[in-house]
Amino acid sequence: MHLMKSSRPSAILGYGAYLPRYRMSTAEIARVWKGGGSGPNAEKAVASMDEDTVTMAIEAANGAMQMAGVSRLGAVFVGTESKPYAVKPTSTMVAQALGQHHTLAADLEFACKAGTEAIQVITGLVGSGMIDAGLAVGMDTAQGRPGDDLEYTAASGGAAFVIGRNGKGAVALIDCSTSYVSDTGDFWRRAHEKYPRHLSRFTGEPAYFHHVETAVRTLLTETGHKPTDFKYAVFHQPNPRFPVEVASRLGFTIEQVKTGLLNPAIGNTYAGSSLIGLAAVLDEAQPGDRVLLASFGSGAGSDAFCIEVLDGIARKRGAGQTVRSLLERNVKVDYSTYSRYRDELHK
Amino acid sequence: MAIQAWRVKDRYYRLIGSRCRKCGAEYFPPVYRCRKCGSADIEDRQMPKEGSILTYTRLHEPLPGFEAQAPFYLAVVRLDNGARVLTQLVDSPEESVRTGARVRATVRRARVDGETGLIVYGYKFIVV
Repeated sequence: MHLMKSSRPSAILGYGAYLPRYRMSTAEIARVWKGGGSGPNAEKAVASMDEDTVTMAIEAANGAMQMAGVSRLGAVFVGTESKPYAVKPTSTMVAQALGQHHTLAADLEFACKAGTEAIQVITGLVGSGMIDAGLAVGMDTAQGRPGDDLEYTAASGGAAFVIGRNGKGAVALIDCSTSYVSDTGDFWRRAHEKYPRHLSRFTGEPAYFHHVETAVRTLLTETGHKPTDFKYAVFHQPNPRFPVEVASRLGFTIEQVKTGLLNPAIGNTYAGSSLIGLAAVLDEAQPGDRVLLASFGSGAGSDAFCIEVLDGIARKRGAGQTVRSLLERNVKVDYSTYSRYRDELHK
Repeated sequence: MAIQAWRVKDRYYRLIGSRCRKCGAEYFPPVYRCRKCGSADIEDRQMPKEGSILTYTRLHEPLPGFEAQAPFYLAVVRLDNGARVLTQLVDSPEESVRTGARVRATVRRARVDGETGLIVYGYKFIVV
């Protein structure tokens, strides 16, 4: 068996999503670099000049803490590949902003799946009884070299989850998860480099599809669940096509995927991508609904989860900003404003 | 700059101010002695993170370190407990910035100590 299941049940007690206010159309990027056309997604979310992974993680974490109603965290983990410092933890700044000091704090890095790893580790800490509750954040201000294919999708945003013992008021049970990894050089960023590099079409079959399919098939086989047992399925979404394609290969329908599919509107928020999709699903799910969550991180690996929505969702929903409200609250920017916000232009 | 900010990080990150244990008056930034009753019996107090704009101006020539963000709005915000905060407004369209507009606190980059120094974070407010 490859399933990871804690001996004591762990559950999501609260969650919060964050998207920066600014959006840029991929047609605008194509106008600048190709003279016309567009990218695979319609728009991407752009962080303002004074936002970074720390500030966005704090926003999402405040929402999660408010919904969870807990005052003490035993762990604060931030999964990201866009740490403001190479050496100085993002997690300690988030912990400070939450007033949490007697806590384990660490930054996790695994390209786009660092956020789901944070959930797995905290599920284990809670499940073993080492802590009562912890915070898992997946957040990124993703980078793409100007003019590169990645620039069309690399976006900013993510979500935070407070995980604690399953009990009254819990929002969703983290029933079990499984992970699958291999040494795959689909996407990387060397030390001191500002932008990542990738092997173009290599990112599909040997990387995204192989790892996500293997992790999800393992989860389905070992839990005995069928795709039809899930009301919702959320996959990592580097572009609009991959999550729909992998869902189809695994036997899921577009109806199961569409609620958590945000890439067309916001792009790829890397470590935040699958987690903000999960937040969108929890914004509308009902008690008893089962949710499949599958992340993907280059390098490469996938974490697949079986999550069951609990009664607490009905009472707690609306405590913070919904993903829909974050999507609707937007201001369009052009390429020059985007360049200024992302520190490509200096006064 | 970084050391000064480190000493007051709870003020910058969490809006920690002061409350007079004797008369209940609340202050931001923190005080050592109550301005109303003179008591030195002061405790830390988390300020409410919402309030409204008391007055504002649009700044085109900011102090050194803030040039890249100009022009921006600087406002005096009256928090819901009555305490006043001098703050930058962010993500707030021009038409939304007016006296009496409701605002909420957020944490943003305040300034950056060059290419290799520390990043200072602090509160700013957003018109809601």
